[in-house]
Amino acid sequence: MTDPTPIDRLSRHALVMALWTPAGFVAVALLHMGLTGGGPWWIAAGMAMILAAFVGHIIINVATSSSFTSGETALGALSYSAALVALVLGRLIGPDDMGEGVFLAIGVGLAVILAAVIVYMLIAFGPRGAFARFDVIRDNNLRASSRLQHRGGRR
Amino acid sequence: MTFLLLSALALIFFYGIYFAARTARLGLAPAHFLDGGSALPGWAAMFLLPGIVLAGIGIDRHLGLVALYGLQAGHIGMGMIPVAIAALLIWNRMWYVTRIANLTTPGEALGRYFDSIALRVVLLGLSVLFALPFAANILSNAASLLEGATSGLIPRIAGVWLMALASAFAAIIGGWRGTVQTLAMLSVLILLFVLVVTLFTEVTAQSPGFPIAAMPQENGIMWDRLPGVLQNVFGVGKTVPAGGIFTAVGVASTLLSLVGLVISPAALYLAQTSRHGKTLGLSAVWLTGGLLGSILIVGVPVLAFRMIEGPFALAELLYGVEPLISVMLLIVMLAGAILAINFFVVGSTLLVLREAVLRYLLPQLNTVQQRLAARIALGFAFFFMAFMASFLPLISAILASVTLPLSVQLLPAIAGLTFLRWISRGAVLAGLTLGMLIVVFTEPLGLILFEGLFVDLPWGRWPLTIHSAAWGLVFNLLLVLLASAATMRHPQRYERDRLHNAIKEATGPASRGLGAMGGFFIIWSFLAYGPGAVLGNTFFSDPIFTTLMPVLGVPSLWIWQILFWLIGVPLIWLLANLAGFGSVSQDRIKPITLGPPPGQKPPGWLAESLRRIT
Repeated sequence: MTDPTPIDRLSRHALVMALWTPAGFVAVALLHMGLTGGGPWWIAAGMAMILAAFVGHIIINVATSSSFTSGETALGALSYSAALVALVLGRLIGPDDMGEGVFLAIGVGLAVILAAVIVYMLIAFGPRGAFARFDVIRDNNLRASSRLQHRGGRR
Repeated sequence: MTFLLLSALALIFFYGIYFAARTARLGLAPAHFLDGGSALPGWAAMFLLPGIVLAGIGIDRHLGLVALYGLQAGHIGMGMIPVAIAALLIWNRMWYVTRIANLTTPGEALGRYFDSIALRVVLLGLSVLFALPFAANILSNAASLLEGATSGLIPRIAGVWLMALASAFAAIIGGWRGTVQTLAMLSVLILLFVLVVTLFTEVTAQSPGFPIAAMPQENGIMWDRLPGVLQNVFGVGKTVPAGGIFTAVGVASTLLSLVGLVISPAALYLAQTSRHGKTLGLSAVWLTGGLLGSILIVGVPVLAFRMIEGPFALAELLYGVEPLISVMLLIVMLAGAILAINFFVVGSTLLVLREAVLRYLLPQLNTVQQRLAARIALGFAFFFMAFMASFLPLISAILASVTLPLSVQLLPAIAGLTFLRWISRGAVLAGLTLGMLIVVFTEPLGLILFEGLFVDLPWGRWPLTIHSAAWGLVFNLLLVLLASAATMRHPQRYERDRLHNAIKEATGPASRGLGAMGGFFIIWSFLAYGPGAVLGNTFFSDPIFTTLMPVLGVPSLWIWQILFWLIGVPLIWLLANLAGFGSVSQDRIKPITLGPPPGQKPPGWLAESLRRIT
């Protein structure tokens, strides 16, 4: 979406919410089922739902010629970090009967989501562009020459 | 369960208010409130089409019917193919009509094309029927469901007003665009939740379900077959048809009434106010014909089997396994009702406002005042709708029963506007009048009135197990054909030709193979849901072409339904992509002005009526 109007931005936001609201509810229900005694397959189903919604979000980005907004990226990173911390804490100080199956299902699910994010970034931005997204050190270099194209400048 | 359910409902309503507020804060021109700037996002209409159809059928009602009548009621799911085809053909052409001749509402389009005030009035009447009794009936049923689900914590009347109030807030703030964006999400939610609940129920069930177990039926109902092509009965209320009411022709005529949803004034308005693009094809082929068709044909019998003791029994059972899935089951039914109420009340009210109030009664209002008028009108519409749902549920139900069949009677007029230029004004009006009269007298409205005032009629509802929509449309079409033949060279034909020529130019050369597709569709219809569908009763379990007796383990009719649904989806795809009805484009449009410029002066009879009232 080149130079989107406010209507375009709201329309895209509504579309993203139309995807994540039902998918999120279903994922929460499946994860809850798995964590309250249903077993690892329900957790895997919940993770698969999140992955499917992520793929749907990428399709929306392609269809609307847009990318993840900073708010979406922040929310995604925060949720992912919280899930990761909860998993580690759960394993360390949680109940003993938190089986390996549950740990494995959540761990593999989070790993697959991370892999999906990496694959998406590689395809969308290329290896160099994907790395540049995290290369905050270079952002601190304010020399004018850093902006030159042949020096990898991107600001 | 009550707390979870109410929390989920509250979240849905807050979602609506959030997007309404975001839309209002965009600072768009006030006229956007009424029509979304005629550029509603294509994805919203794409998701809304299957949602409108499913909500119009009534999810809980349909599940109840399939639980009661088995696969003969489930055969209604075949209707998703003709409904998708009707949407493709009519919505596509309505979009072009709007852009070519600047005819911005369905009433204006039909009224200007046929040069008829009467058609505008009919459209207004239909809009009112959809906005008030039709929506009130759905709201009343939803509130009863909520009362049952909360074990009486929220009585029916309180439920009616709570849901109406929450819906009204969002509509009054966000207008047409805000409403459509929210309802699109509800549509996605319903489709996804139905799938998840069905799969979850089957995976966690303790006992085998359909198709391994047979549906328990009483009163001689044939749950696994269609009870004949027709039944020689006088209609519901007079004679009980043996084996069930869903005969092949009964199913076909019921499907016809579903087309009434797609050509309802609010649905046509949605088509007219959508942005150009290719989303119509995606919606018709994959979401309506494909996904919704699969849900209704494959999923609903499976879920309905688990709901033989009612939705609350299944919800209780699921609550013991996973509370959130139980809430999802109830939300599916309630969200369907919320979607239908919001769509028909908001769409129809805006149409009545634009067609009658802003055009004839208060033409001097500027756009800011028009927006204020629209907000006031929406408030009144939701109030009267909730009032009817609360205190007049029986009257709402009776009037709602005629709404869809009456809407179907507009089909010849819309066909004339979009494809058949030889259909004339006189023919449309004569056919419409006859068709509407027949509908009224084959539904409770006419039967109760006539029998209460005069004598008992020999027929009841749906004589010969044929839906009132089909009774009306058959005679309607007959009259339209005869009258159009007599008025073929009427001078008014010139204006109609101009519009059709402009549409032809805008849509490009006609695709080859349309005739073959039409022929194939007729054969498909005959076998899928027409008289030929009775072959499916035993075609796979007791085949006529061999003496072998196959052991399928599933009813033959179910295989027949799935097979013809699978054949039907590619048919929609061909129409959408090969014939080009799946996309609309501005590129070749050359605007025209149809007929004399529209006058702002109200017609004499309307002015006189107003003078007497005021």
